[in-house]
Amino acid sequence: MNGRAIRIGLGVLVLALMLAALYMVFVVVPTEADQGIVQRIFYFHVPCAWVAFASFALVAVAGIFYLWLGDQVWDDMGYAAAEVGTIFCGLVLITGSIWAKPIWGAWWTWDSRLTTTLILFLLYCGYLMLRSMAGDSEQGARFGAVVGIVAAIDVPIVIVSVRLWRTIHPAVLVTRQGGHGLEDPRMVATLLVALAAFTALFIWILCLRFVTLRMRTRLRTLAGSLAMAELADQP
Amino acid sequence: MIAAFTAVVRKDLMLEARGGQSTTALVALSLLVLVVLVFAFDPGGGEQGRAAAAGALWVALVFSGMLGATRAIAAEHENGCIRALLLSPLDRAALYAAKLGAAFIFMALAEAAAIVLMVLFFNLQFDVRTMRLVPAVMLGALGFAALATLLAGISSRVRGGDLILPLLAVPMFVPALIAGVKASAMALGGAPLAELATWIKVLVAFDVMFVAAGYLLFEYVALEE
Repeated sequence: MNGRAIRIGLGVLVLALMLAALYMVFVVVPTEADQGIVQRIFYFHVPCAWVAFASFALVAVAGIFYLWLGDQVWDDMGYAAAEVGTIFCGLVLITGSIWAKPIWGAWWTWDSRLTTTLILFLLYCGYLMLRSMAGDSEQGARFGAVVGIVAAIDVPIVIVSVRLWRTIHPAVLVTRQGGHGLEDPRMVATLLVALAAFTALFIWILCLRFVTLRMRTRLRTLAGSLAMAELADQP
Repeated sequence: MIAAFTAVVRKDLMLEARGGQSTTALVALSLLVLVVLVFAFDPGGGEQGRAAAAGALWVALVFSGMLGATRAIAAEHENGCIRALLLSPLDRAALYAAKLGAAFIFMALAEAAAIVLMVLFFNLQFDVRTMRLVPAVMLGALGFAALATLLAGISSRVRGGDLILPLLAVPMFVPALIAGVKASAMALGGAPLAELATWIKVLVAFDVMFVAAGYLLFEYVALEE
C-alpha cells in the first residue's frame, strides 16, 4: 500500500509541475526576439531530450547489473527505461521538426545532433523489437541486456563520427565562449521548471511501467511453481 | 586458447573450401548491389561518380556482411553443430574470436572482389587510389564482422531473427559507415593516406570497441539451454 501512496503522490506532483511549466512557457517567459513564438517549443524539446538520454543510460546500467547479478529486477528496470526512453526520443524528433520547419526552412536536416538522436531512436526501436520477438524469457532478458550495453557503447562513437560529418544545430547551453543563448533570466527559470516537470514525469511513468513488469515477473514465477506443484501431485 | 581458436577457424575455412557457398554468395550479392546502384544513380564521371562508387561499395559491404553473418551461424545450427561447439570445453571468448576471424576472412575476400567490380562498373582506374581504399574497407569489414557475429548469435535464437539482425546491426554500424564512405570517397578523389587519418581513426576506434564488446559479451549470448 505504501508504494501505491508514493505513486499517487508522484502523479499529483507531476500534474502540479506540468501546470506550472505550461504557465511559465505560455504566460511568463518573454518571446524570443529572433525566432518568435515557435522558440517556446524549446522548453519541452530540451527536457524530452534529457529524459531520453537519461533513460538510455539507465538501460545500459541496468543491463550491466543484470548480466552481473542475474536478478530479474534489473531487467524489468532496463526494459521499462527503454520503453519510456524511446517514446521521449520520438517526442524530441517531433518537437525538433516542428521548430526546424519555420527556423531552418526544412523539417529535417542531416545535422549532427539530429542524426545522432535519430540513430539512437532507431537503436532502441531495434531493442524493443528484439524484446517483443524474444518473448518474456530469461533468454530475452539476457539478449536485451547485451544489446542495451552494445548500443550504449555505440553512442559516443556515433556522436564523434556524426560531428565530424557535419553540424548546424544551435549551440544553446553548450557554447564554450560567452553566453549560453538564453539572455532573459525568466527563460532560464522556465527551462528549469520544465526540466523538473519532465524529470518527475519520467520517474512517474518509469515507476508505473516498472511495477507492471515486476507484477508480470511475479506472475510468471507463480505460474511456474504452480505447474511444478501440479506435476508433483500427479500419482 | 590459441589452439582452440585455430581449430575452429580451420574448420570454417575447410567447410568453405569444400563447399564454397558463403563466399560465392557474398560476391554474387555484392555484384548485384553494385549493379542495382549503378542503375539507381546512373553515375557519370568526375567527383560525383567517385562519391557514388564509394557509397555503393559500402552498401555492398553492409549487405554482404549481413548475409555472411547469418550464413555463418545458420551453418552451425543446421546439423546441431553449435551444440557440439558449446558442449566442448571451448572458452566462449575463443569461440567468438574464431567465428569473427572466419567471418572477417570471408568478408575480406568478398570486399576485394567488390572493389574490383566497383572499378569496372563505375569506370574508374586501377591505380594507387584504388589501393588506398584497402585500409578503410578492411577495417570496415572487421568492424561489421565483429558486430554481426555478436548479433547473429542473438538473432539465430529468436523467432523471426532474420528480421532483427539488420534492424540492430545497421544503426550500430552507422559511425563506421560514415567514416568509411568519407575515407573511400577521399581516397578515390586522390587524397593521400595522411588526409584519411581522421576517418581511419574513427574506424579503428569502432573496431576496437566492438571487438572488445563482442569478446566480453559473447558468453552471455552463446549459452546452451
